[in-house]
Formats: sequence, C-alpha cells, structure tokens
Amino acid sequence: MIEFIQFVLAPQMLNGLALGISVILVALGLTIIFGLLDVINMSHGEFYAIGAFGALALSAFGLNYWVLIALVPVLMIPLGVITERYLVRRVYDGADRHVSTLLLTYGLALILEDVLKIMFGPNTHRPENPLPGATEFVGVFIPTYRLFLIAIGIAVILVVAFVVYRTRLGAMVRAASFDRNMAASLGVRVSWVYSGAFAFGVALAGLAGVLLAPVYSVFPTMGRDFILMAFTVVIVGGMGSIWGAVMAGVVLTQVQAISSLIVSPVWSEPIVFGVMVAVLMLRPQGLFGRIGHA
Amino acid sequence: MMSIKKLFAGVAVAALAGTAALAQDGPVRIGVVTPISGTYAGIGQQVSWGLDMAAEEINAAGGINGRQIELLYEDSEANPAVAVQKAEKLMTASDVDFLTGTVNSGATLAVGQVAERAGKLIATTVSFSDAITGSGCSPNVFRVNARAGQQSAALAVWLKRERPGAKVFYLGPDYEMGRSTVAAFRKNAEEVGAESTDEVFAPLDAKDYSQYFGGIRAARPDVLYTSVAGNDTVRLFTQLKDFGLLEGLTVLGASGTVTSQNIGAIGAAAEGFITGVGYSTQIDTPENKAFVEAFNARNGAEPDLYGADSYGLLFAYKKAVEAAGSTDTDAVRTALEGLSWETPQGIKTIRSGDHQAMQPVYVVEIKDGAFTIADRIAGEDAIGEDVCDRF
Repeated sequence: MIEFIQFVLAPQMLNGLALGISVILVALGLTIIFGLLDVINMSHGEFYAIGAFGALALSAFGLNYWVLIALVPVLMIPLGVITERYLVRRVYDGADRHVSTLLLTYGLALILEDVLKIMFGPNTHRPENPLPGATEFVGVFIPTYRLFLIAIGIAVILVVAFVVYRTRLGAMVRAASFDRNMAASLGVRVSWVYSGAFAFGVALAGLAGVLLAPVYSVFPTMGRDFILMAFTVVIVGGMGSIWGAVMAGVVLTQVQAISSLIVSPVWSEPIVFGVMVAVLMLRPQGLFGRIGHA
Repeated sequence: MMSIKKLFAGVAVAALAGTAALAQDGPVRIGVVTPISGTYAGIGQQVSWGLDMAAEEINAAGGINGRQIELLYEDSEANPAVAVQKAEKLMTASDVDFLTGTVNSGATLAVGQVAERAGKLIATTVSFSDAITGSGCSPNVFRVNARAGQQSAALAVWLKRERPGAKVFYLGPDYEMGRSTVAAFRKNAEEVGAESTDEVFAPLDAKDYSQYFGGIRAARPDVLYTSVAGNDTVRLFTQLKDFGLLEGLTVLGASGTVTSQNIGAIGAAAEGFITGVGYSTQIDTPENKAFVEAFNARNGAEPDLYGADSYGLLFAYKKAVEAAGSTDTDAVRTALEGLSWETPQGIKTIRSGDHQAMQPVYVVEIKDGAFTIADRIAGEDAIGEDVCDRF
C-alpha cells in the first residue's frame, strides 16, 4: 500500500500538478482577455506556439534559456498590441461582438499556424532541457525541470493576480471592463487599457510557450495541444475569473491523473469533459465570477 | 438500309475507341492522400519527397508507356474521415488512375474500402497494421512497406538472442496501428520465451506520458516495446529520460517510432533504441548509396523508410502498367500480383495471396545518434502466414 502511494499515486498526483500548472499558464492569458475585453481569443494557442518558436529561434543566436524566459514575453507585447489595434478593434463594436471576434481570432489562428509551418517546417524541435536530471521530493522522483515549472507557475499566478486585483493599474483595467464609458469619463484611457490587457494576455501565452517547450516539444500545430484543456479550465472556472481558472486547472488535471490509474487512459479525457458538462448544467456561470464583475 | 446501319455501328465503335484512346493518352494521374498537417506531417513530407523524386525520374526517362506521371496531392490530416473525403474527391472529380499516400492505418483501411467500391487500386507505403493485408484485406489494396508482423518477427529474433526471458511492457498509441503492432510483437515475443507484464494504450497526440510511468515502474520490465510515432515519440522518450526510467531498460519499437524526422528532437533519449525496419540508409548496396545521395541532393534531408518505400512504389506501378498495357484496374491488379521489382532496399515481391510485399527486414540500433544495422532477416522468414481469405 505504501509502495503504491510512493511509486504510483504520489508521482501521478505530482505529475498531474505539473500538467495542471502548464494548463493554467496557457489558460491565464485566455481568461484575462475574456474577462477584461469580452473576447474569446481562438488564436491564443498560436500565440503560445509563437512564444515557443521565438525561444527556439533566439536560442540559435546563443541566448541563454533563463534570459529567454524574460525576453520572449516582452517581445510578444508588440504582437498583442498590433493584433488588438488593427484586427480585434475593427470588429469590436459591431453588432455581434462574440461571434465576430471569435471568427476573426480563429482565422488568425489558421494563418499563424501555416506561417509557422512555412517558416520552420512541419517537424518537431526541442530546446535542450536547462535543468536535466531528477530530484527526490518526499520520497518521490520528479524531473527537476517539472519542479521548477510548478514553482515558477505558482509565482506567475500570484504576480498576475496581484497586478489585476491589488494594483492601481489593475483597478483601472477592471473599471474599464465593468463600465467603459464611466471609466473613460473618469480619465482612464480605455483604448490603451484594451490594447494593454490584450497584449498582457498574449505575453502570458508566449511565456507559457517558453516554459513548456523543453517538456512538450515545439512544432507548428502545438497551439491546438493545450487549447481545448485551457478552454475547459476557463469555462469551468467561470469565464474570466483568475482564481476560477486556477482551481479548475488543478482539479481537472487531478481528475485526469487519478482517473487514468483506474480506467483506460483514453477515457480520462471524456471524464474531464464530462465534469465540464456537469458544471455547465448545474452552474452555467462557472465556479467563480468574472474579473471586475464580482 | 444495311449500309446506313453499318455506318452507324462504325461511328459508334469509332467514338468509343476514341474516348478510350483519350483516357489512355493524357498523363497517368496518381492521387496522393497524405498528412500535410497534424502530428504525422513529417511522415507526409517524406512520402511526398519520395513520390515526387520517383515521378521526376520516371518522367525524365519517358514516363509510363510514353505517358507522364501527374501527382495530385490532398491533405488527409492523418484523420480517416478526412482521408475518405479527399480520396473520394480524387477518384470522382479528378478521376485518378491510382491512389497512394495514406499514413494512418485507419485511413488506409477506410480509403481501401472506398477504392474497392469505386473500382480503383490503392497502395500504402507507410501503414503498419497487419489488418490491411490480413483480416481487412481487399482485392484493390496493396502494401509495399513492411507490416507490423514483419517488423516484429525480426525484433523477436533479436530479443531471443540478446535478452532471453526478458520481462516486456507494451505501450502503443490507441488506434488501429498501435493495437495491431503491440499484438503482433506480443505474440512474437511470447513465442521466443519473453514474459509479458502489462500493456497500455495512450491516446494519439498525448501531451504527457508521465501518467503511465507509475505502471511501468510497478511492473519493473527489462524491455519496453512501443509503437508511438512522430511527435509522440519525442515526448515519450524525453519524458522517460527526464524521469530516469531509461536506466537499465531496453527500448524496442516499431520502425516508425524513431526516424530521421524526429531523431534530432529526441536527442540523447533515442540512444540504444532498437527496431525492425524494412529500410535503412546504411544498407550497403550501390543502388541504395546512389538513392541516398540523390535524395539528399534533391530534398536536403536523409530518406527514411517512408521516403524509400514511397519512392519504390512508383516503379512497381510503372512496371505493372507496362506489363498490363493500360491503367485498367483489373489488368494492373493482375500485373501487380506476384510482381518483383528493384527498389533502393533490394528486390521486393508482392505476394499474390494477400498483396503484401515480401522484403528483407533489418534490425537497426541507434548508436551515437545514428542508425546502425545490427542484423538482417531474410524476407521469407519475416513475412509470416497469409491470412487473407477474400481473394
């Protein structure tokens, strides 16, 4: 029994946590863009892929991996600003914002995926793992990089939550999303806030791309990888809630990790989506409310 | 009166002969339904390189019976449902004479059924599943690459000699190919005295294999057999290495598991991997050396089994059409059955009973990041029995 916990259950849960943190990193940007801009960003997965390919391309110039973790998200900001200014904003005030922004970002996703394919070819790449080897953690072996991923993931979540909920900047952004006319009349530059919030979400996607590249490898269609799970997490957590996404991310990946010990692994995904359907039926608004609305 | 009747008959015959001549005059159109996107895009790339190169060479030498080859590509997305749609489009709208390129075994089986209904021939150069030329065989489907059973037979010979009585754990992708390869190897391994511990099937395109590592640790195997392919291999192998599971473990696999497409991304985690494969760039013959050199020059990359088998296919088709004198389905089928032809990997022969190509199979090991040939099993010893009973 103890052997089962030490060699099977505990590693499984710890791996599930690493996967959960990965999903949350991707979902964070998604939930922020939805919560603050009311835009369902279908191209989020491709921004995640661009972050990973960006790290790959820059590391070819000899840049250290630790530098890239800081540099790539910064380089993603202009991409986010341009996308918001010249694409999203054009359809933002139309009659059916949800449909038009969803179609726009979906089209963008298809284009970006093919651009990556043309630039880098269809094959898989993988940056060298900057922290090779495994560490013993309360009697359980876990690759050192995954421990680092869990630690930095928690730090990123805390920083993002702090910025959104506890700073003056965050208050301005939340105000603009709650009532943009009122915020504008109080002197908030709403157009800058929207660009900034979108770019912030895109930068987070890029950061997730860099951080996950050594574990999950880099290839042009990688954007589709986490996006389904990330959307599930955002829906279950409550569209646009940060804490909701974190809670849902941890719970759903644990459901997946533990259920795959009992049922055939192929069934663990239907179980996760079953949980999503159940949440949507019983609590359509998700577990938590939206940023700026609760 | 008589003469007018005769005249009409004559015109009708001439008209019929005219259309028939027209159909046999233009280019030979070959449809290629292959994954250009998705996890198997790298495999589709090798398929198209091999086919394009063979078509260029054949066309430069005068084509097939004086007709040029025209290849028409469609993206199957490695998805059987998409592959069927694209194959139907090629067979009806483009009226192709022959179809190839399917990668995913499920796609090959599905497209084979469509081709049989449409009265067209297809050949796969990639799919491993034994069913394609076994329980699910079709008179209209051919396979020119080594199937799971041929690869497994070769690996079992190696296993018996190098790791007698080993405890084996099996991990395959959860679809037709994965289940077929694991079943084939398990049967072969148990026949040579290996002990099976457990088997796991992971979804295609799985992100994280660490959820299966608990089961592998608990089973304490000496040998892990896997048939994941493409990008899935990159993740499985690097994650195995990260978790320290590769120590003391011999990893055997299907020939598509590690290829020139993904070996770079796998890196050191691929070291020591052993597979049974129908092709290797290391095959030491003048024909193969010339092929590897030409392939490198044209495509800027080494050929792998998919590139080589796809390249070889068009020469089989050319020989069959020339023997048949036309691209007529029944005539070409008869010509392909029992056909022997030259390929970079030596002479292949299509067994008429099940349309499976017989060929030598190589045991290949990865040493210092390169494929090296450890053993060669003759085609007759690897082919296995003919279980097809439909024709």
